[in-house]
Parts: sequence; C-alpha cells; structure tokens
Amino acid sequence: MRFYIYRIITFVCLIILGVGLFKTQVLEGRRYRQLGEQNRIRLIPLEAPRGRVFDRQGKLLASNRASYNVVAMPEDVTPEVFPRLAKLLRMTETEVRDRVSGPREYPFAPAVIKEDIPRELAFQVEERKPELPGVSIRVSGLRFYPYGETASHVIGYIGKINPDEYRQFDRIRYGMQSLLGRAGIEKIYDDRLRGWRGGRQIEVNARGQLIRILSERLPETGEDLTVTLDLDFQQKIMEFIKDKHASVAVMDLKTEGLLALASSPAYDPNVFVSPAQGAERLQLLRDRESPMLDRGIGSAYPPGSVFKLVTALAGLETGKITQNTSFHCPGYFRIKPGSRPFKCWRQGGHGTLNLYQAVERSCNVYFYNVGHRLTPDRIAQTARELGLGERMELEVTNIAPGLVPDSAWKKAKYKEKWYEGETLSYAIGQSFLLTSPVQILRLVSIIAKEGEKTEPQLIIEKTNAKKDNKLEIAIKKSHLQIIKKSMLNVVESDYGTGQLARVDFDKIAAKTGTAQVPPKTAHSWIAGFFPYDNPEIAFVVFVEHGGSGGVTAAKVAKQMLYLWKEAGLAALA
Amino acid sequence: MQHLLKNFHWSLFYTMLGLAGLGLLFIHSASHYETGQFALKQLFWVGVGLTFFIGAALLGYRTFLGVSNLFYVLTIGFLIWVLMFGETNLGAQRWLRLGPLVFQPSEFAKLATVLALANFLGSHYQWEKEGRTVLLALGMALLPFILIVKQPDLGTALLFLPMAVMMLFLWGIRYRYIIGSLVMVAVATPFMWQFLKEYQKKRILVFLDPQLDPLGAGYTALQSRIAIGSGGLFGKGYLQGTQSQLDFVPEHHTDFILCVIGEEWGFAGVLLLLVLYGMLFKACFRVIDHTTDMKAKLLVAGLLSLMFTQVFINVGMSFGLMPITGLTLPLISYGGSSFMATSIALGLIVSVYKERSIF
Repeated sequence: MRFYIYRIITFVCLIILGVGLFKTQVLEGRRYRQLGEQNRIRLIPLEAPRGRVFDRQGKLLASNRASYNVVAMPEDVTPEVFPRLAKLLRMTETEVRDRVSGPREYPFAPAVIKEDIPRELAFQVEERKPELPGVSIRVSGLRFYPYGETASHVIGYIGKINPDEYRQFDRIRYGMQSLLGRAGIEKIYDDRLRGWRGGRQIEVNARGQLIRILSERLPETGEDLTVTLDLDFQQKIMEFIKDKHASVAVMDLKTEGLLALASSPAYDPNVFVSPAQGAERLQLLRDRESPMLDRGIGSAYPPGSVFKLVTALAGLETGKITQNTSFHCPGYFRIKPGSRPFKCWRQGGHGTLNLYQAVERSCNVYFYNVGHRLTPDRIAQTARELGLGERMELEVTNIAPGLVPDSAWKKAKYKEKWYEGETLSYAIGQSFLLTSPVQILRLVSIIAKEGEKTEPQLIIEKTNAKKDNKLEIAIKKSHLQIIKKSMLNVVESDYGTGQLARVDFDKIAAKTGTAQVPPKTAHSWIAGFFPYDNPEIAFVVFVEHGGSGGVTAAKVAKQMLYLWKEAGLAALA
Repeated sequence: MQHLLKNFHWSLFYTMLGLAGLGLLFIHSASHYETGQFALKQLFWVGVGLTFFIGAALLGYRTFLGVSNLFYVLTIGFLIWVLMFGETNLGAQRWLRLGPLVFQPSEFAKLATVLALANFLGSHYQWEKEGRTVLLALGMALLPFILIVKQPDLGTALLFLPMAVMMLFLWGIRYRYIIGSLVMVAVATPFMWQFLKEYQKKRILVFLDPQLDPLGAGYTALQSRIAIGSGGLFGKGYLQGTQSQLDFVPEHHTDFILCVIGEEWGFAGVLLLLVLYGMLFKACFRVIDHTTDMKAKLLVAGLLSLMFTQVFINVGMSFGLMPITGLTLPLISYGGSSFMATSIALGLIVSVYKERSIF
C-alpha cells in the first residue's frame, strides 16, 4: 500500500515537471526567445555603502565620499572611442583597451576604465557622451578618513579584493570589485561594516536604454560603529608625540574603553583607498620609520623597571617578602661572594630600603634580592596572571602577544638551562621578557582595580551586553593594595623616579621603566593610574629609544594628564 | 558471465545507456567550443561507471548491506576531512584531492547512508521500540546532512531529508509519528532560525528565493529560464543553442545541462528525457515488487528517492519551480563522482532483481 503511494507521488511529480516545461517552452517560449535573442538583460550591481565609524563624541572617523568612475559597456564601445577616451583621461590607448577587455564578473558587467576622477572631468565625459558610445560615469562611495593620521592604527584601511579571495569568498557578499578591510577596525569588523550589496536586472532596448526593471534588490548599508576613542584627545596626544617613535594609551577604568590609543609615526589611511596613490602606498610600506607599525599593540618591547611591580607581587605571594622587608643596596649585588656584580642604576647605592622605598626609587638591588629568592617559573606565573605574554581581546589586528620566559621556554628555545643571573635580570624586567604597551596598560589597570580582570575595549556596543560578573585574578587583594600604594610615591615623593609626571590638580600613581637595549638608547616607559584615590583612568606611555623613563615618558604622561583634564573626559566616564 | 546475465534486468540497463548517451551528446554540445574535452572525459567515466555497475550487480546487494556500517563510517570520515582540508571553490568546500583524483565525498555519502539505513531499518520491526529505531534512523540521516550543510552544499544536503522520510514511511512508521515530527519541525524552525548567523540566514533566503540576489542566483535563474524557454517546441537544433553556449548560463555541462537540451531540442527533447527517467523509475518499482526482502525493498526505494529528488530539483530549477542549487542531473550531467555513484546505485538495484526470492 505504502509503496503504491510512493509510486503515485513519483509519477505525479514527473508529470508536474512536464507541464511546467510545456508552459515555459511552448506557451511562454516566444517571450523568452525575444529576451534571449537580443541579450537585452543588463545587470547593475548596487554596492552597499560601508558603515561609518564614529568616536565617542560622534565625530566621524571613517565615512564615505562620492567618487566618479568612468565605466564602459564593452559590447557597446566602438573603436574610435579608445583614442578619444585616452586623451580625455590622460591614459594610453592600450591602457584603455586593456581595461575594457579585462575580466568581468558576469556578462554585461560594465568595465571600469578609471576610478575617482575629478568632478570637472566627470562632467566633461558626460558632456561628450554622444561621441563616446558605451561610456558613462558611475558615482560610487569611496572610503574617506577625515582625520587622516590621527587614529590610523586603530581604524585601519580598506583595499580591493584579490582574485584568490574572490574565488574563495561567498558570491552573495563579495563581487570582483568589492573592497574589504585590510587592517584595524576596518578589517576586524568588516563583516558588520560591509553591509549587503544589491543589484538590479534590467531589460534594455537595442540602444541600451532601460525598458523596465525585471528584478531588484536594494543594497543594505553596513552597520555604523562607535569607538571608545576621544578624537580630540587622541589628536592632541598625537601632536606632541609626532616627532618621537612612541605610543600612548589611556583607558577609562570604569568602562574599560580606550580613550586614546596613539602611535607615532602614523600614516594616512586615505592613501590606501584612493586608486591614484599607488606611489605613496609603496613609500609607506618601505619607510624605515615603519609608520605602519602600531607601537601600542602591534609590537612588544622589554618593559624594564615597570616589571618590578610583578616581581614584588611574586615575592609577596610566595611569602619571600612582606611590605616591611628591607634589603641593603650598596650599589651592586653578587650571587656569591666574588662573583660578577649586578649593578644598581644609582652609583653608590640606595642604602637600606623597604618595599615601598624600593619601588619609589626603582632600586635594582632590592629586586635582585627578591628575584634571587624566587624561581623564574614563579615570576612567569605571576606575570601571566597579570595578563603578560597573553593575547588581548582588543579588536585590532596584529596584536603582539609578547613573551614571558620561563625555564621550560629557555630549554625549548636555546637547549640550555636557566642561569641564576638571568633570574636577576628577569626581576628588573630585562632578560628575554617582551611586553606590548597595551599589556602594561592592562597590568596597571588590574592593580588599580585591585585584582579585577580587565580587558581594554575599542568599540561601544549599542546592545549593552556589559559583563556583570566581575572576575578576579588569583593574586591576593591585600598584596595588590600594597603595590598600588607603593606606586603613589614614585611620582609624589621627592625621591621618586617619576616626579616629572606630577600634576598640580591631583595625585598620580605610576611606575617608570628604562629598558636597556644596548647598543642603542634605552626605551622609556611610564605606566600608572590617576587619580590615586578613586582612579578613573589608567595609562601607559612608551617612547622607543627615548632614554630615561623618569624623564622622556614621564613628561609625556604629564602633558597627557593636562590634556585629559582640559578635555573634560572625567565627567564623561 | 552466465551468472551476470541470469535474470538480468535488461530494460533498466537500456534506459541507463540511453540516458548516458543523451548526456554525452549534450555534454559535447555544451562544451565543444571550449578546451577541456569534457565529452571525452565523460566517455571515460561512463566506462568506469559501467564497470562499477556490473561489479555491484555481480557482488550483490547483500554484500553491500553487510559492510554498510563500515562504508557509512568511512564516508562520514571523508565528509569531516573535506570540511577540514577540502578544496574551496566559490565559497564552498566540496572536493577532496587524492593524488590525481578529485572527488566529491557527498556523492558517496548518499549511497552509504541509504545502505546503512536499509540495513538498520530492515533488521528492526516497527512494533518493537519504534521510537528508538526512528530516532536512530533520523540521526543516521542527519549526521551527513549537517556535515554537508556545513560545506555549504544545501542542495545535496536536502536530498537526505526526503530520502530518510520516505524510507521510514515505507518501513511502516505509524502516522502519529509522522504527524508528531512534522509538528516538532514546525515548532523548532523559528527557534533554530534565531541561532543562525546573518550570512547563513541570507544564504538560506537566497536559496529559497533567487530573486533576492539579482546578480548571482537570480541572474542564473532568469538566464536558465530564457535558455530553456527560447527552445520552444522543437528547439534550435543540435549544437545551435546560443544562450547556453554563450556562457549566459553557468555550469552548462554540469548542473544546467538541461538548459542545453531544452534550448537545442526544445520541449520534445526534455520530454524524451522525462520519459527515459520515467522508464527508469518504473523499472525500479518493478524491482521493489519482485522482492520480498524488506531490506532490499527499502534499499531500492531509498536509492530511487535520491535519484528522483535530484531529477525533480534539477529539472524544476531550470524553469523556476525549484531553488537554484548545485545539483547534477543523474547520468546526464558531466561529473565522475556523480556518474559512478549513480552507476553503483543502479547496479545494486539490478542485483536485487537478480537475487529476488525465487520460489
């Protein structure tokens, strides 16, 4: 019985197919034959405007401007068009010919001859249309970054799809001429920014004029995004670090949003968008100053004395020291009597210091003593707990994970055991250790928040999916409070290494670092939070080969804090 | 040889040859002006396919049922492999490269799933633990379905659903289960929809309505209708088609070969094709009637369902009845994996006829 039903279903379906084909071929055959014979179907792609990017004040970081493109329908172009067009557009005739006969996405796709021509030229082409059959001007959106270099590393840029990507990607979303994000937010949020392209099937007459629209889907504009940056603040920071190779990152501690993420030197992302600026692009990529490198996130450096905070925490956690533990600094430290002396930065030494004083004056010998009582693996464990050597969630590409070495790492890398002397350098932030400035920012934020897990953010999501469950790191709160307190005197005491960062309107807590990178000048660091009571922001300043952290970086930090006050960002948080 | 010829189902064999011949003719027409020698290659595949056909007929379906579980596990493995290391083309991962051979594991997964289902359902009676059996059977069909959806190849994946439903129906599932599962699907669909990503939703919507993508699937749908419609009653003549030959219709030697037939031989040509398929299906139903082995009945019915659904979707999409998907026309379209899988299926069906219970 059931097999009988099956048989009936099968043959009824076959009959349906027969009837459908009869209708299409015999009854409607004439109409389809007409449509087919003259190839009257044209496809018009409608590219979706890319979503815009705003800063927290609603200023446009990335938008779209109109671009006039010369296109041609190769089927309609007559030979005399080539020389005329070549002359008009200042191209060679061969170039025009190559463009017209280049690969096409689908039959009757217009070929793009020249993109982004000046408005006046576009009008000229339009005026001379009668003598240029098949040629027309098509207006499309072109990405535009009004602030140029100001936040180039954060925003990134877009570029044209390459043939390999085109072959692999979903045809519904990516066409042969599609643009996609190549760096920064443009790349990471490409999916949300790009929208959905649409298109139109039209029937044209023999002269290529529209008779009717057969089918149409309008493009859907991409989503607009808001970044946490404050563009004014960022711009002013960029101004005073523009002659340095430096990065400054400032984070709002309440929202964990980055108010500024500046890296210098920077580049103008518009160069990557405009088709005419190929030479500038190459120059950027070859520049010895590497303006493409994001010195805040994309690169890792030895942190120097900033790392003493971690060593101190490791000492406290293991119980090897307490806040009252004192060591004597004669200006050097020896593992064994008669062995090589490890020097303190201050000739003649600091005398006897407790933990607070040691952080304040950044005494190397104190931390040699602490490090000597620890293992490299224990230091590494504490560093990792504080987020060093770990990727960040930050929404920007090319994040440098840094390097937190331990004995197993050294064995794997150099086939050598870890030497005791290396633990001493490790304790003061040298040896193999590498951290990115934003990782250091995360580290000081965790200290400022007394152990709450922190993850710097760049995007303000409209749907407020703010994390409610506050995660704590596995380090005792009381120990973090000791370290937090010790950072105050770095700036506020007259013995502190970071005095130059002092501002007159509130108290600031920080730690400086001067990372040795012989034979070149040391890297200059300062990282901290502000104000000391009820911290609102955390910050990090890094100056590549900037010399002493207490001088170069501290001065930048001070200027940054005045700007922050001036911008009135405290009220916004 | 005698063993082979004994009780051989000649009319099924002739129909198969007829379809393959028609296929060769139009693969030639669709591709003779381009390089690639597709007709010649297909001739080779027809030869290989016939060898597999005879091999399957000689080995007998019972042998296949005996190793069906192993075969099933193997093809599932291939499907996972293709997801991880397969070749990507046009946004989908469907092909696996083994040395010089490129093949589509989903073709063999169809065969393996029918075999495993027939074996499983045939050895369970519906009056004991029906619910458990039904659930397991559905699971067996859903696993390859999900893996193929992930490639993504919605068209091929969707073949698994009518196949599984039809086999369960024929096995004797009670109507209340059918109604129950229909209700469950209806309730679950909007819920599942929520979990899909935006691009997945779009893909499904475009699948259901090609006009949502006027430059892609919608364009193909229109051009395919133009090609087939312009054929009229008797067509433009062999090798005379313009629409399908001028590249307006993509994939004209594989998925859209019907457009070439319809344009060049008109309604008469596609009617011939439908009649040939009708004969093939009729032969399959005769085989079902001739055996008393439940496993055999289910096996033939499942294989038939796969072929039939594929024909229905492929022919239906050429004139706008069905969504546009990358499904081949069995025995007609160019493609080694497809032809081989269909040949083996037909070989199995012939072997059921040969080994029918003789009283």
